[in-house]
Amino acid sequence: MINRVEELKEAALSAAAAAGDEAALEDVRVAYLGRKGRLTEVLSNLGGVPAAERPAIGQAGNRAKQEIGAAIAERAGFLSDSRLEALAETEAIDITFPAPPLRRGHAHVLSQVRRQLEVIFERIGYSVEEGPEIETDWYNFEALNLPKGHASRDVQDSFFLDPGEETVLRTHTSNVQIRGMERIGQPPIYIVAPGRVYRRENLDATHLAGFMQLEGLAVDQGLTVGDLKGTLLYLVQSLFGPQRQVRMRPHHFGYTEPSFEFDTICGRCLGKGCRSCGQEGWLETGGCGMVHPQVLRNGGIDPERYTGYAWGFGIERIAMLEYDVEDLRLFYENDLRFNRQF
Amino acid sequence: MRISYEWLGEYVDTAGLSPAEAAELLTMSGTKIESLSVVDLSEIVVGRVLEQREHPRSNKPLWIHQVDVGGGQTRQIVAGAANAVAGTLVPVALPGTRVPSGTLVRDGKIAGERAQGMLCSADELLQAEERVPRIMLLDRGEPGESLATYFPVEAILEAEITPNRPDCLGHLGVARELAAAAGRELKVDFMPTFTGGIEPPGTDLVQVTIEEPDLCSRYIGAPITGVKVGPSPEWLQRRLRAAGVRPINNVVDVSAYVMLEYGQPLHVFDLARVAGSEIRVRRAREGERLACLDGQQRSLTDRMLVIADRDRPLALAGLIGGEDSGVTGATVDVLLEAATFDGVSVRATSRALALRTEASSRFEKGLAPELALAGARRAATLVAELAGGRVHRDWADEYPRPQQPVRVRVDPLQVDALLGVHVPLEESQAILRRLGFHLRTLDDGAWDVLPPVFRLDVTIPEDIVEEVGRIHGIERIPATLPGRRRPNWIPAGGEHLPSRLREVLLGAGFDETVSSALVSRRLLERLGLAEGARSVINPMSDELDTMRTSLLPSLLLAGVLNQNRSGIRADLFELGRVYRGTLADGRAEEPTRLAALSRVGGDLEAGRAGFLRLKSVADRLAEDLAAGPVEYRRASAGLFHPGRTASIHLGGREVGIVGELHPATLQVFDLDGRAVALDLDADLLLAAAGARRARELPRFPAVDRDLAVVVSDAISAAELLATIGPAGGPLLESMTAFDEYRSEQLGRRVRSIAFALTFRSLERTLTDSEVDSLMASIRSRLESEHRARPR
Repeated sequence: MINRVEELKEAALSAAAAAGDEAALEDVRVAYLGRKGRLTEVLSNLGGVPAAERPAIGQAGNRAKQEIGAAIAERAGFLSDSRLEALAETEAIDITFPAPPLRRGHAHVLSQVRRQLEVIFERIGYSVEEGPEIETDWYNFEALNLPKGHASRDVQDSFFLDPGEETVLRTHTSNVQIRGMERIGQPPIYIVAPGRVYRRENLDATHLAGFMQLEGLAVDQGLTVGDLKGTLLYLVQSLFGPQRQVRMRPHHFGYTEPSFEFDTICGRCLGKGCRSCGQEGWLETGGCGMVHPQVLRNGGIDPERYTGYAWGFGIERIAMLEYDVEDLRLFYENDLRFNRQF
Repeated sequence: MRISYEWLGEYVDTAGLSPAEAAELLTMSGTKIESLSVVDLSEIVVGRVLEQREHPRSNKPLWIHQVDVGGGQTRQIVAGAANAVAGTLVPVALPGTRVPSGTLVRDGKIAGERAQGMLCSADELLQAEERVPRIMLLDRGEPGESLATYFPVEAILEAEITPNRPDCLGHLGVARELAAAAGRELKVDFMPTFTGGIEPPGTDLVQVTIEEPDLCSRYIGAPITGVKVGPSPEWLQRRLRAAGVRPINNVVDVSAYVMLEYGQPLHVFDLARVAGSEIRVRRAREGERLACLDGQQRSLTDRMLVIADRDRPLALAGLIGGEDSGVTGATVDVLLEAATFDGVSVRATSRALALRTEASSRFEKGLAPELALAGARRAATLVAELAGGRVHRDWADEYPRPQQPVRVRVDPLQVDALLGVHVPLEESQAILRRLGFHLRTLDDGAWDVLPPVFRLDVTIPEDIVEEVGRIHGIERIPATLPGRRRPNWIPAGGEHLPSRLREVLLGAGFDETVSSALVSRRLLERLGLAEGARSVINPMSDELDTMRTSLLPSLLLAGVLNQNRSGIRADLFELGRVYRGTLADGRAEEPTRLAALSRVGGDLEAGRAGFLRLKSVADRLAEDLAAGPVEYRRASAGLFHPGRTASIHLGGREVGIVGELHPATLQVFDLDGRAVALDLDADLLLAAAGARRARELPRFPAVDRDLAVVVSDAISAAELLATIGPAGGPLLESMTAFDEYRSEQLGRRVRSIAFALTFRSLERTLTDSEVDSLMASIRSRLESEHRARPR
């Protein structure tokens, strides 16, 4: 009987060693150790064996089971290792095969840039303020020191909604300066107001009748031209990188005093002058200045206690600088071959 | 404004300062130089023609010159003009020189003859425009001398002058800026001395009356008799040309010259043409006509100010003179006008007539009456000098609204406080003095500042700070960020909800559009969307004349554009404002809306599938905003399909509409197939946003059951679900309909609807028999309430 166990064990060990794959090995296990396996069968039919021999046979049987089990496990490890080693060949795919596009819509570049700008300013404590686009003469012009009939309105040729020219499509986001001061009331005031503005311009690559601006306004104690400069530098470097400088040139706007235009150093030539900046080295970016005391007063703020600064620039202008877009009209055409580039 | 650099040199010492350096100084102090073109003749030398003979063999007319170019050298030069005869002095460009017009001169041969240089025309040296080939002849100079000795390096600076600085619409003003920025002194005084002394007094020769003192605060009429009208001297012509003005005659040129010098527009009348020797500054009478100097006849209205004599208008005040009263070759006595007209009035007339002149562009910015006197004196002096006129004493000078001196009190500390940089007191004072300001320090340390009379823009302390800052150098102000220790702050907002709306649409594969808010009223009317629409009264075109009342036309137009250009049938959305109605103050309601458009195939089922897809979008929007369940009610609306449209409700409030578009809508846009659209009030949607809260995960398993019933078309899925819910009781965790099916076997006007139901208890594992009995009661309620039979 013991010999029979030994024979089965030897047969099982050699069958395990010979198993060519994991399925064959499993067959071996089932054939010998399964519920109806040959070794199991032998060991469960000890009825004809004298009782004195049974413990010895039992022990031999358990040893055989362990040995066969260990051999199968070892063989299984070997087979598994070689299968995994061979994966590179057995399961190779053509990884150069082009992937189908992942279906997802594209956010419009202007809303991306607008949100990017909002976040840049939110990080340093500004909040987003909204204002109407169909606006009264007071908020768009008069309260900003742009009196009726004055030449300073010429640069902002306006669309009017009534013959009395009392209602206007806002020509700039600066209407939110007064509205923001009125709503918030007590400084500190740190707001940005992005949105659409309208001017009577003939359509071409650099002019649109409707476009977007982002206005910024800060009113607090002791604000300086230096603070304005730092804010603009922070903006430009956040957008375009730390090597980009800003310069402010004295200019004139009715609602700021002093007033400036600000330029961004050309990203191609870093100020040396090249074709993309028209040899100037600088790219006109926007207008800014210290809020005129009369404008503060019109917004209900005491100019003896507070000073403020404000700026405005075109959101399309930023998108053009950021993405090398050369024709403004592309932004509003919604040709998806353009929109999907962003 | 075209600025001649040579001309600036008359008022400020430009030695050692290149035009490019000057341009940079001006730009950075507020006079932006947009372009700079340089005419440099220093490489061109004076030559004396020793001998001239015709070219013996050339087909074209050519002449061969022997030219003394100095240093004992003689060059043979071939030219195509005959006027450089022996003995004349000519400009010579030697080989290797590039002449200002761009030609590079080479040592070579022309028609077989040695040519060692080029004789230049005025054209080639950018000194004048010549129609015939002619060598420029010089009236002085020694062979070999650089031409720059007689024609200093000339540069034209194109300057952008801001509307607050009309004083810089003259060379003197720009020179003052340059002097201040370069730390140099201005060489001339603003106010010239009076030179008139001829009898009889001017007031005897002309009477001036101002009938509209609000529109004309000063009128100076200076009679000058016995002028000899003729060409202006070369230097003056050259300066006018450099500034872009065509010379006419000495008298007219002087008026242009002084305007380009001081910024004060002037006019000259032929005194013999002033009827009654009377000047009346009055409103035009309705229907009066004036033949203007530009050859145009203009009809005038009583809103326009004119300069008239006893009988008729002679000139449009501040805009243009009349043909009849202008200076001609036959003119002997003239009346020089220097006046101050109201800027708003000049601008209104300029706009009404669509006529903008050098004069009107200056007056409309508002000029100082004191400037008129300076201009008159300067012009009178020049007319006397250049046209031999006799300037009479005691000019007519009506000055009903004298300029009030402005004083500004400035605390010097304010300079540093506003700029954010320390400017030493002495430097501030020096800057202001160089700009023509007078300054006195008061006992309390404050400054009493008197701006120059031509600086009407300076009225408040901040203006003074600006003057100091821009000359001190804005680039010298350190960049800082504001930061104060403060006990209060505005908390940062939470999540940016509009971005969440956008994310849902983008994730569903919709491309975002941004369209013009101005659309065509005609289109809105055609679509029935014109009610409450706000139009502009002065549109650029009727394609863009009205503010949109809906985002859907914009989306449809974008759909058409893409279909036509590239065949892309895209899913689009826009998040933006619409505009309608009129508020008490004239403004409009400007709600933000979220609209989506999806083009689907042509068949009925595609339309239904598209509709359901947009419902998924709406459901998802509400879910992402935690805005509660969405309810859909059958609805009808303009643009939409009458049988395939629903209004959308959140918390009982209607927030928008979803549906297939009406075939007639698509026809307007020439779109094929079917299209579905969603149009939501984004403000209401965002207002409905709730807070998201975590729920405990269930510990017991759910039991899923499907249920299919056959029911009349008249019963909606919502009605069936409204029955299933209560019948299922608290153990019915969720339910939805997932399939709808029609067939002939089922019968007409009925359909099979399949529901997926999920049962769960939070306390235990449900048994099959429990769920079976709930299902049985659901079936029986469906049967009794809706005659829905099991399938």
